[in-house]
Amino acid sequence: MKGKVSKLWRREGAQSVAASLISILIGLAVGAVIILIMGLSNPDLGLGTVWEAVRLEFLGLFSTGRTATGALTFGFNPVSMGDMLFRATPLILTGLSVAVAYKTGLFNIGAPGQYLMGTAATLMLALGIPTQVVPAPLVWLIAFLGGALAGALWGCIPGLVKALLNINEVLACIMTNWIAANLVSWIFDGSQFRNLAESTKSAYIYKTSFNGVQTAKLGLDQLFPNSQVNGGILVAIVIAVLMYILMNKTTLGYQLKACGANRHASRYAGIADKRNIVLSMAIAGALAGAGAALYYLSGNTEFYWNTYQSLPDVGFNGIPVALLAVSNPIGVVFTGCFMSMLDVVGQQITNLTPYNEYITDIIVATIVYLSAFSLAIKLLLRGRRKRRLEEAEGGKSGPVDAPSAHAPATDLGRTGKGGGEG
Amino acid sequence: MQTDNIIEMRHITKQFPGIVANDDITLELRRGEIHALLGENGAGKSTLMSVLFGLYQPEAGEIRKNGQVVKIHNPNDATALGIGMVHQHFKLVEVFTVLDNIILGAETAKLGFLQKKEARRKVEQLSQRYGLRVDLDARVEDITVGMQQRVEILKMLYRDNEILIFDEPTAVLTPQEIDELMATMREFAQEGKSILFISHKLNEIMAVSDRVTVLRKGKLVGTVATRETDKQALSNMMVGRPVQLEVIKGKAQPGQSVLEVDGLCVRGEGRRRDVVRNVSFQVRAGEIVCIAGIDGNGQSELVYGLTGLEKPSAGRVTLCGQEIGRASIRQRGQHLSHIPEDRHKHGLILDFTLEQNLVLQRFREPAFQRLGFLRQGAVRQYAQRLIQQYDVRSGQGPATVARSMSGGNQQKAIIARELDREKELIVAVQPTRGLDVGAIEYIHNQLVAERDKGRAVLLVSLELDEVLSLSDRILVMYEGEIVGELDPASTDAQELGLYMSGAKREEKEGEGA
Repeated sequence: MKGKVSKLWRREGAQSVAASLISILIGLAVGAVIILIMGLSNPDLGLGTVWEAVRLEFLGLFSTGRTATGALTFGFNPVSMGDMLFRATPLILTGLSVAVAYKTGLFNIGAPGQYLMGTAATLMLALGIPTQVVPAPLVWLIAFLGGALAGALWGCIPGLVKALLNINEVLACIMTNWIAANLVSWIFDGSQFRNLAESTKSAYIYKTSFNGVQTAKLGLDQLFPNSQVNGGILVAIVIAVLMYILMNKTTLGYQLKACGANRHASRYAGIADKRNIVLSMAIAGALAGAGAALYYLSGNTEFYWNTYQSLPDVGFNGIPVALLAVSNPIGVVFTGCFMSMLDVVGQQITNLTPYNEYITDIIVATIVYLSAFSLAIKLLLRGRRKRRLEEAEGGKSGPVDAPSAHAPATDLGRTGKGGGEG
Repeated sequence: MQTDNIIEMRHITKQFPGIVANDDITLELRRGEIHALLGENGAGKSTLMSVLFGLYQPEAGEIRKNGQVVKIHNPNDATALGIGMVHQHFKLVEVFTVLDNIILGAETAKLGFLQKKEARRKVEQLSQRYGLRVDLDARVEDITVGMQQRVEILKMLYRDNEILIFDEPTAVLTPQEIDELMATMREFAQEGKSILFISHKLNEIMAVSDRVTVLRKGKLVGTVATRETDKQALSNMMVGRPVQLEVIKGKAQPGQSVLEVDGLCVRGEGRRRDVVRNVSFQVRAGEIVCIAGIDGNGQSELVYGLTGLEKPSAGRVTLCGQEIGRASIRQRGQHLSHIPEDRHKHGLILDFTLEQNLVLQRFREPAFQRLGFLRQGAVRQYAQRLIQQYDVRSGQGPATVARSMSGGNQQKAIIARELDREKELIVAVQPTRGLDVGAIEYIHNQLVAERDKGRAVLLVSLELDEVLSLSDRILVMYEGEIVGELDPASTDAQELGLYMSGAKREEKEGEGA
């Protein structure tokens, strides 16, 4: 019995993974087609360049430059690999932010705002607490927790508005995003944290390493020398595992999901629905804030504080990361790494070919677009397998094995029709 | 080949995970007959009709029309063969007008422009001919459920369907509307149209059908001519054992008072005015007190006020000696279990599994959690016990998603959860709505058993039969007030009806003017 259930689960999981992989492959293929069209329409490029760019598009992570004769070489590239992990860190956390909210029935489009508030709190704490007085590792911890807390508080606002006034969280999130963007600019404008030491730069904040506060490398710089990687990625992975446990194993996760799935029934059962909605958004906000904290505590990142005109992409990119992972916290680790890999690929394409990195933006856009269809792709996969099984069975009666029969009922559940019998 | 069979479904088999919904079922529909399809919830009636209408593809079996084998891959094929269906939940575009809904999918157009005038004439003719009154220009969202159903019927007629499937058409109708529908169905049959009528209401089947096919647990039990059978025989066929249609119970042995309600007022939706006004009553241990009344006279709000879903605007509620007027739902839950009126809104989390739903109130107990971690093994075991004890049927046992269960089994799951909590007071709101005789019998017996264990039961019901047969005392609610207390032994449906319609009321003592 137990084995049967876990088998079904695995099947379900496998389908999700397959659907996400198909989204990714189609995205990459569309990118390749665009590379081809651009190559053919530009007399300077030619098929040779097209072929190079396409190979880089798929294998850019393993690109190691060119040989003396100009041929592309591939192999283990510690810098690319390390940078991928470094850039994945905040993406994993904003992805978790969106995924956890989604599991509890909320669409957290407020991750950019929560991320900005997390950034501001982290930077002020990391740079503001003198390391001569407080030991740097402690300042790091305070700054990290402060960033998460700031994000949590910012996430609470749409949560409260939803719980108490029944206003859609998407609206409140979008508004709090822009409030955060302006608030952060205002906080840093004229503050003592502006980077005045390097006169070539304007509107930047000091790196946290300026105050001696940066994330420990934890030996990762040995594995990936010369890259920006640090212990933050390990923190992100630990948080992802904790989120998986929270959502699937604890009574709190059970309550949060219950409220998300049916607020009325939760209330009927004596579960505090309002508290749980606020709590969901607070957790989501804390995750986005923690993402900002890990990114800026790395010590080699600078914050451009004039944020009132634009929101951080990493906040919004949490949405495709979560969608591709079907909101599974463990899956988010992989999809986060994949999205940051595309960044690295874009860089390689820019460095090694006449194409620029915007081609990867097109790929990302395609994948985002398709990840919304991943459910449809999943259903398509099921339908295909069912048909194939039916053909093999030749329509003869008798028990068919569980997976093929599994399809219709779940379709039924999803579309919500024919709830009566079946 | 018999030519009087317009449709033959032969040896149809259709499977879902863990369940054979239709197992080798053969059904013959004669031209011009009303053929009832009877079975408990989950017996496979809707599945079989969905196969005929092309919504499902059977794993085995064939369908013949006029003796010719036909393949029905989708509802368009079905329509082309003259098969129309009125679904249990109507398939109408809410924001479209009635006329637009009727012609949708079968529009006549010239050069891409709709020819509504012609369509209107045809619909008006049909509407007059069969007495199906509809307002063609009203929007569907603004019309009554009864009229929506007439729209669905006109849709079938507009498409010149000759085989009409009605999936539990009376569940949503008032008694008058049911009578009208029956008359319409007979008229169709006289004109040579053939009707398949899904129901589990024996009265209707006896009243209108020519033949009855009975299904049980996905299998064919048999087909009988209606005039050669009776209600008892049909229900025995349907359930597979002799069913008692009447509730058998001993005399109540009321003990001490469990629930005392004094001057309770509850605001309605929008919270502008009280829809429960100055209601006072008590329920004692070991008795079933029934709140009777026509739907919408404040019964739902009274229950909300008692269970905490709505805060009362005035009055006192005392449960087991404690004033609970301001207590939280969770605090009240220590002495009260609640079988809610709306099982999809309040009763279940449809996207959760059965086992998750069964511990909805109890997950905090040490038996089911340790240090904030759910003890999933314990939850599974508990769910298995309840499933067995209360005979909840589902495809994958405790791991079944609640949404995929049949309505009757969803209700059984709620009953299992609420009764197993063993609280002093049971508030049951329309616990048998939409259920078949087997399930109704079961639930009635359970409630009587709880009463005999010394629990206080407050039952809210709209069904007169249920009120009269199950309760020990009847309180009639009319426009938010209790207008009479009756003894079921000395009253009848007529008297009850007078109170329910407001034509008669008891003047309470001490109530001025």
